[in-house]
Amino acid sequence: MTEQKPRDPGGLGGQSRRDFLRGSGVAAATAVLTGQAAGVLDEAQAAEESTKVLSGTVEITLKVNGQERSCEVEPRSTLLDTLRNRLDVTGPKRVCDRGSCGACSAIVDGELVYSCTTLAVSCQGKTIETLESFETGEGSVPHAFHQNDGLMCGYCTPGFVTACKAYLDKHPNATEEEIRKGIDGNICRCGTYVGVLAAAKAAAQAKKGA
Amino acid sequence: MKAFEYAAPTTVDAALKLLGGPNAAALAGGTDLLGRAKDYVTSPDRVVYVKEIKELGGITGDAKSGMTLGAATPLSEIVHHSGIREAYPALWQATSEIGSIQIRNMSTVGGNLLQRPRCWYFRAGFGLLGMKDGQSLVRAGDNRYHAIFQTDGDALFVSPSSLAVALIALDASAKVRGPKGERTVKVEELYRVPRREGESELTVEPGELLTHVMIPAAGKNGAYEARQKQAQDWPLVMSAVNLTMQGDTISKARVVIYGVAPIPWRSEAAERVLVGKKFSPEVAAEAGTAAVEAARPLSMNAYKVPMTRTVVKRALIRAVQGKGYWEEG
Repeated sequence: MTEQKPRDPGGLGGQSRRDFLRGSGVAAATAVLTGQAAGVLDEAQAAEESTKVLSGTVEITLKVNGQERSCEVEPRSTLLDTLRNRLDVTGPKRVCDRGSCGACSAIVDGELVYSCTTLAVSCQGKTIETLESFETGEGSVPHAFHQNDGLMCGYCTPGFVTACKAYLDKHPNATEEEIRKGIDGNICRCGTYVGVLAAAKAAAQAKKGA
Repeated sequence: MKAFEYAAPTTVDAALKLLGGPNAAALAGGTDLLGRAKDYVTSPDRVVYVKEIKELGGITGDAKSGMTLGAATPLSEIVHHSGIREAYPALWQATSEIGSIQIRNMSTVGGNLLQRPRCWYFRAGFGLLGMKDGQSLVRAGDNRYHAIFQTDGDALFVSPSSLAVALIALDASAKVRGPKGERTVKVEELYRVPRREGESELTVEPGELLTHVMIPAAGKNGAYEARQKQAQDWPLVMSAVNLTMQGDTISKARVVIYGVAPIPWRSEAAERVLVGKKFSPEVAAEAGTAAVEAARPLSMNAYKVPMTRTVVKRALIRAVQGKGYWEEG
């Protein structure tokens, strides 16, 4: 398991608020899970089908932003919750948790998906990209959002940045109309669509110029 | 959501064995099943992941001999398929309007066809018929998105798959495999009107798997939908049509409508108007009028009647003329 570098310490005596909350959450989760048989394999079934039946908690390895990361999840754990709560990849946000708002957008094997509506166990062996791995220099999508005021409260921004990057990587010559349709799976409740669209257009332009 | 067992078999045979247990559910894109599981509308004990089974994927065939879609084909693959866009514009138009780019990347042909109704009473745990204390919550409550046909019955939800409407217009068949073997049915036979609570609106039995959809060569076809939002929404009303022409004359017509009944609604009334006539926008309008003659809307959805009339007319115009008078460029 590759450990992520610790964050700069925040408040709470050297612990950031997030580290503190996560620490107590993990303690609670462990207390619950030790009561269950971890990683149970239905052996009769497996022998018959040679397909593993997973239940309880299972150890999985995910390739996130170029790194192999291992963690324990339940089969029902979503990719979003696994990224955020187990692997400390907190770029994708949990908002609607129903595949409607786009804040959790991530790129799996090159395709943009809602990570809240994807099971983590089904992502083993796939390439998972979140916006933590994106270039942020001039000409990049994150830079274009910064330059074009593409955010207000910022909660939808990681999802929009991811959606824009995924779309422009596949459609570098997209027109404004196509970009609109390409990022229409994301919602901004502040209504900063004008800035988002300007940012997406600027990023497309920068891509063409590059 | 409730905890479940999980398996990811690599063959249909293995998947069928795994689905044979009690309360097992097939998972493809997850855009419907996981939402239902989170809301405890459906709580499977075992989930069998079928999206990556190779024999369930891919688009084969051509416009002349017909095409076959694997049930686990992502909808985005249909949108990017130039052959489908040319031969089956009804299917292409319907698919490209579904959900959003994320939804189309995730969800599959089979998953879209077998998704459960979006009726808010069903999704809130009141069952498909939405009954409480012997009273229909739908009839007494907010039914703006519900059915306008067969409303004297108890099933007032609308069938949720716009893909099904296009495929039925194209006279497609579906291959279903189960423990007893394989059967081929017309896509419309995948659906039925439930007569009592607890009866499914789908004819695919637990333990069975939809594997392929076969579309024969098509006539002039197209689709049109009316919707509230440009993206991330289901159509309010949508229609897909398929016309076999002999010269200028329509020799066969299939008109199917979404958003108006608990099954994809085949409008034989509209078809009767069309057959034997030369196509014109006036004939299309006449067919639209015929399509809604039997409509009996609920308290809040009378707006769907004129909407359906126009949607059928426009789908016909689009099928024959390629582009409608209301479209730019």
